[in-house]
Amino acid sequence: MARTFQVGDTFTHVRQCDRLRPVYYAGASGDYNPIHIDPEVGKLAGFNGVILQGLCTLGWAVEAVAVFVGDPGRVRRVKVRFSRPVLPEDTVTFQGRVTAVADGRLTTEVTATNQRGEPVLRGAVVETSLG
Amino acid sequence: MALDPKFVGRAYGPFTYEIGREKLREFSLILGGAVPSAGTFGEPPEHVSPLLYSQEAAQAGPYGDVIAFPSFAVVFAIRPFSAAIADPELGVDRVRLVHGEQELEFLGVMRPGDVLTTTGSITELYRKAGMDFLVVTTETRNAKGEPVVRGVWTAVIRPA
Repeated sequence: MARTFQVGDTFTHVRQCDRLRPVYYAGASGDYNPIHIDPEVGKLAGFNGVILQGLCTLGWAVEAVAVFVGDPGRVRRVKVRFSRPVLPEDTVTFQGRVTAVADGRLTTEVTATNQRGEPVLRGAVVETSLG
Repeated sequence: MALDPKFVGRAYGPFTYEIGREKLREFSLILGGAVPSAGTFGEPPEHVSPLLYSQEAAQAGPYGDVIAFPSFAVVFAIRPFSAAIADPELGVDRVRLVHGEQELEFLGVMRPGDVLTTTGSITELYRKAGMDFLVVTTETRNAKGEPVVRGVWTAVIRPA
């Protein structure tokens, strides 16, 4: 059953950054930068404690689109700007919108905002193949 | 002090990485929200595709085996970027560094056992609004020499 996608289709994906997620992501990704695992270093950098790896937030934006199209193997391109760190206990809402369906490719724009409505990514675009 | 533009073109690598089945599974499940404990990832979160962790489901699917979650590529493709940041001749102040932008292009799926080689080089160094921007472009190829992932990594070094 081939699913069809149209410009203007939207989707939402919500992710919780639980308290230990930066530590878990550090182990899985190998990103052990102390700002993600040592609260004292996070404080020195001007935060209340650790911050989530930006690449984890990027991964969640990709995940939002992968769930929407139903196959993570179809993701072809992602581009994001990191505008604000995600903190432990934050809830991030990803809202996607299909902006183009052409030449076998689906283009989506994704916004990501925390529970205060502040954007954590800017200009996020994810492209997937259609088949 | 601004980063010296003479370092544009400086290359890092090659860095070789072999994708391990369990590492790939671990990454997918933990990114997806699983809580790891000794020897288990717990129940897979519902939204995580079984193509990423279940060999049985994946064998019946389009790829014949589990595949990497796309952003798993950062695990190995980051290495030239990390090497540039750590390059003592470049002199990046790591305390003031933030990851500003990221672009990844996936030219094929990544599977367990793939041996991937990443090279990269500094493609831009500039100053804007009092901040230094360091851009590293990477290319990852498989054992046949085919490109698999391209990346553009932008670090922003905030003023002192």
